[in-house]
Amino acid sequence: MKINIGNNKTAVFVAIPILIILILILYGVISNVVAIGSEPPQVLLERPDSKYDKCVRDTEYMRFHHWELLREIRENVVRYGKRGEEDINKCKECHTSRVNFCDQCHNAVSMSPDCFGCHNYP
Amino acid sequence: MDRRDFIKTTGGLILTVGSGTYAFRILSATGVSVSDTDNPLIGKKWGMVIDLTKCRPDCTDCLTACRTENNVSFHGDKRWDNHWIRKVKIEGEVGHTKVEKMVPLLCNHCDNPPCAQVCPVKATYKRDDGIVIVDHHRCIGCRYCMIACPYNARQFNFKNDEDWPNEERPKRSHGVAEACNLCAHRLDVGQMPACVEACQKCGANAILVGDLNDPVSEINRITSTLSVKRIREDLGTEPKVYYLGL
Repeated sequence: MKINIGNNKTAVFVAIPILIILILILYGVISNVVAIGSEPPQVLLERPDSKYDKCVRDTEYMRFHHWELLREIRENVVRYGKRGEEDINKCKECHTSRVNFCDQCHNAVSMSPDCFGCHNYP
Repeated sequence: MDRRDFIKTTGGLILTVGSGTYAFRILSATGVSVSDTDNPLIGKKWGMVIDLTKCRPDCTDCLTACRTENNVSFHGDKRWDNHWIRKVKIEGEVGHTKVEKMVPLLCNHCDNPPCAQVCPVKATYKRDDGIVIVDHHRCIGCRYCMIACPYNARQFNFKNDEDWPNEERPKRSHGVAEACNLCAHRLDVGQMPACVEACQKCGANAILVGDLNDPVSEINRITSTLSVKRIREDLGTEPKVYYLGL
């Protein structure tokens, strides 16, 4: 079956942009697949002369669910005035550098949380 | 009992029990998600008394203290400056003598807050201890609260301030409304608000913050016995900031 899309010139004008878009999409997919195998982001879990032995939760939980914990703390502080031991200001007592700690993972997964626009983290 | 009666009775029974349980669940729900025993704020009601006879007209210590405690943005340009507490000159006539007063104005922490009523995202709300507070995480910057507030106590963050005087406390990002929160972070840990401490330090001792629900508190003695006034009481907002000598 012959599909009539006008003369040859029109076909070229339609086909080339479609090809470019397809290549861009393929490039995005492939580069992401390649990146999965590459080095994970290096996070410095530094604890310079801190009074704490360990984090408030275990590492696996903090790695994948810390925002849920932060949201829970936020709810407690802002809504119910419960200012307990767990506090966003206390993170920086152990993890002193935002560049070496927070930003490493956030940059790797292109997350830009807006915590630091208002909360101070050196 | 024939078949028809049996069906009628069973259906009626199921309807009664079902709707009864449903109604009970609706009627018994209080809408409070946190259990009352778990909530440290319940039972308190913070209020403020400002004694204008002690307040010095030219003193701005409370304003500065508030600004440094809460990182209230200040650019030196009145278009973008925010004030959680500000001093306003009030002129009037008593008899034939002209009277001039400098009155510190701040969020009145109304018992019936219009700002909380109009907030479409429930970012502004009244805490269980009576403090009207903005959840800046949730605020969308629609500025309804600024229109609703009859005291002009709310400001909008048009611009980020580079200064960060108190790094323990957050700033507000561009695009949210803000107002005095009665230094809730200090009251929660048993300290007095920054303006109160500054007023005590400068010797005037004009501002007093206390628990209105506590029958033996100093603020309760003042508000119940002396002639205190609140601003625009006729509006029915029930402000909790009382003025002496207004």
